[in-house]
Amino acid sequence: MSILEARKIHKRYGNKWNKQEVLRGIDIEVEKGEFVGIMGPSGSGKTTLLNVLSSIDKVTNGSIKIEGQEFTKMKEKQLAEFRKNHLGFIFQEYNLLDTLSVKENILLPLTIKKVTKKEAQNKFAAVAKELGILEVKDKYPGEISGGQKQRTSAARAFIHDPSIIFADEPTGALDSKSASDLLNKLGDLNEKRKATIVMVTHDPLAASYCSRVIFIKDGQIFTQLNKGDESRQTFFNDIIKTQGVLGGVQHEL
Amino acid sequence: MSFKQLIFRNLKKNLSNYYLYVFALVFSVALYFAFVTLQYDPSMDEVEGSIKGAAALRAGAVMLIAIIIVFLIYANNLFIKRRSKEIGLLQLVGLTKGKIFQILSVENMMLYFGSMLIGIFVGFSVSKLLMMILIKIMGINEVATLRFSVEALIQTAVVFVCIYVVIMAMNALFIKRQRILHLFQVTSKTEGKVNRVSVIGMLIGVLGIGLIAFGYYLSTRLFSGDFTELNALYFAMLTILGSVIVGTYLFYKGSVSFIFNMIRKKDNGYLSINKVLSLSSIMFRMKSNSILLTIITTVSALAIGLLSLTYISYYSTEKTAEESLPNHFSIPNEADAARFMDELEAAKIEYTEKKVDFHQVHADLSRIMETYDEENGSFNPGDATMVVISDEAVEGIDLSRNESIIVNFPDTLQQFMSLKETGQISLKGQAQTVTLNYKGLEDRNVLPSLLTLGGFPVAVVDQGVYQQLKEDMDESIQKESTVYVGVDVKDKGEIEEADKIFQELGFQENFGYSSRLYVSSTGKITMGLAMFLVGFFGLTFLITSGCILYFKQMDESEEEKGTYKILRKLGFTNKDLLNGIRVKQLFNFGIPLVVGLCHSYFAVKSGWFFFGTELWTPMIIVMVLYTLLYSIFGLLSVLYYKKVIKDSL
Ligand SMILES: Nc1ncnc2c1ncn2[C@@H]1O[C@H](COP(=O)(O)OP(=O)(O)OP(=O)(O)O)[C@@H](O)[C@H]1O
Ligand SMILES: [Mg+2]
Repeated sequence: MSILEARKIHKRYGNKWNKQEVLRGIDIEVEKGEFVGIMGPSGSGKTTLLNVLSSIDKVTNGSIKIEGQEFTKMKEKQLAEFRKNHLGFIFQEYNLLDTLSVKENILLPLTIKKVTKKEAQNKFAAVAKELGILEVKDKYPGEISGGQKQRTSAARAFIHDPSIIFADEPTGALDSKSASDLLNKLGDLNEKRKATIVMVTHDPLAASYCSRVIFIKDGQIFTQLNKGDESRQTFFNDIIKTQGVLGGVQHEL
Repeated sequence: MSFKQLIFRNLKKNLSNYYLYVFALVFSVALYFAFVTLQYDPSMDEVEGSIKGAAALRAGAVMLIAIIIVFLIYANNLFIKRRSKEIGLLQLVGLTKGKIFQILSVENMMLYFGSMLIGIFVGFSVSKLLMMILIKIMGINEVATLRFSVEALIQTAVVFVCIYVVIMAMNALFIKRQRILHLFQVTSKTEGKVNRVSVIGMLIGVLGIGLIAFGYYLSTRLFSGDFTELNALYFAMLTILGSVIVGTYLFYKGSVSFIFNMIRKKDNGYLSINKVLSLSSIMFRMKSNSILLTIITTVSALAIGLLSLTYISYYSTEKTAEESLPNHFSIPNEADAARFMDELEAAKIEYTEKKVDFHQVHADLSRIMETYDEENGSFNPGDATMVVISDEAVEGIDLSRNESIIVNFPDTLQQFMSLKETGQISLKGQAQTVTLNYKGLEDRNVLPSLLTLGGFPVAVVDQGVYQQLKEDMDESIQKESTVYVGVDVKDKGEIEEADKIFQELGFQENFGYSSRLYVSSTGKITMGLAMFLVGFFGLTFLITSGCILYFKQMDESEEEKGTYKILRKLGFTNKDLLNGIRVKQLFNFGIPLVVGLCHSYFAVKSGWFFFGTELWTPMIIVMVLYTLLYSIFGLLSVLYYKKVIKDSL
């Protein structure tokens, strides 16, 4: 069953005289439990696509459904309701609140859902253990490493078991060790919790952790690669090749 | 791009930043100009002449300048901090610091003097209003007319040009000190590391609360007779002031974070949105804000305290007059009283007359004293000089030969001594001593306080005893007069006319002669001016401290934008966030206000009885008004946040 279904989405920026169409009719379908990567050259509209899919930005045209719920026409209040029940986020710049401890940051999504205290503590213990951040739970974001921050951010995205998790270049600010750490954990969670993840990335290595990678270019889907039963290494090579084609086309311009 | 264009573009682009600055400027100029216009207005001559208000007004003007300077410097600092990025960019593209300073100065000049013109215009309009208020509260019959005063204009211009120079100097210093790197960091830098709540912090907090409590305790003892020597009194006052102010500072530095942290710890990481936005954010900033908050608290406490005290005096002028003068007109001389009454009859003013015979005796009050500090007292309860009157002079009282009661007991005295319910007193003339059963206090005034040795209680005895004491009178302790005639005008509308007659006879100048109307209206003029000045400054304090807190919130909201963005992504609605912000503002504005109110309450409580007869009504009116006006700034901040939150995603 598909958890996310986007049809013919268009996104235009600008005013009457100075229009720029960033997304031009994209169709995407994501199945439950998939780990989807989105790649493409800079400026191709990846972030825009993710924002639109995750209800943070509005589409100009088209429809997007998550778990069968169409949200492109929802009001702000309904959207917030929708986000808190269905979505989780991990972003490049960590997006942690400096004034809250790691634990408080992670528990935030549960407080909106009015989960009982006991249940919250249990959920926290589980997710923090899975992501290896139990030791730092009482520290503040200013006192932990980038990798730990990003894992905190991931823990926060997972804790309320959302239908789908959106990640925009989650490894962008990490060194390769921390990056592969995080990706391994994401992969684990994807398998163990059957969590659905949509991740935008520049990095072929990061993309190789996905089960499917969608390439976009100039606001349209260029192609997509399925990992299938391939090893991560061959999938990685495929991605590099496709990226070469994409990049090459751009170079000719 | 030419230099001019650059400046012009900057101005246009930064208009949203400027409005705060412009507001601060217009407000300051208007305030100052209104005040100076008032000062130079010819119709104020009466005020200035009658009570030498000139000095008060001039001192007020100086004080106003001080407040305005602090306020404008603060606003300017915030303003330049916000623009530091832009300054850094200009520097990065190769403009010299000198050039940047020039751009800023020209820009500021246009803004500054533009606002000044508006401010002067606003100030002139406001001054007329102020004049009307002043005349109203002083109770003078005059019409508020105002002319545009050139002197006021010049004075305002000079003062603000000087402030402009100071501000520019500060900006020059700011630009000079900063390196490009710093300029970029100023706004992005959060205020230091997260402050962990340490044991030391906790101790500091406890010490703070202790100091405040000590100060409060001392203030309740201040006029209770513990400190009689003037030096000791001054020392005690300074100690109170010091310990409360330092305590407040430590309270903000330690206790608030500590208390909040305890609340937070209890939740074990599971914080509600309201707490996220209020507790954690306030805790995070408390340490660096503590000086500012201490200043604001002290200033508010000062303003509320002074306002309460002056309002107490103003509010009590009539009552005080009533208390010290039991009748409309007091004349301690029968012949003069007769003259006055003849005149009243001629003017067809109906009146009632009340004659009281009195004289001084030696009194032994030691057996009816409940509490009295003998060492430090101003009289000896075993041998005090006291006025005695007959029970026939007190309506509705008929005593037997061995009984006595006390009247004319002023409230002020109750602070220092209290009497037992019953007991015995002895009254002594030249040779004889009569001992009487004391039957209690009668809360009324029969004689004006001027005739009762400046407000000492009066003993009432049976007519027979009175005669006996009178025959045995000790001449050496008598004053000029032993008779009092009180005249009451029947129709209240005619009091004013009667007062005119009384003044024409020249009675008011003589000792012991007094018209209640005259006393209360001169009191009103003096107290009215004092209240106007204090009110003006109270309002200035209020508005400046409110503005500073508001500016601070604007700044904070800018820094917390990221937080709102994250929270909204997580699915919190605007409404959730706004509720959290409301709680935050409740604390932000509420904490200094509540602490300030507490401080001023204890300050007023310690010495209010020197100012008037009524504590609660005027104090509560002042406090409620202050709180209401102050809340406006809290509301404004919430509105501002509303916009920031809406734009955050
Ligand atoms: N708020 C906006 N207003 C106007 N144009 C925008 C806005 N956001 C993005 N764009 C434009 O849309 C295009 C796509 O931007 P987007 O951020 O989606 O690219 P991206 O694929 O994420 O690039 P990168 O890999 O560099 O992050 C860009 O040309 C950008 O200039
Ligand atoms: Mg991007």
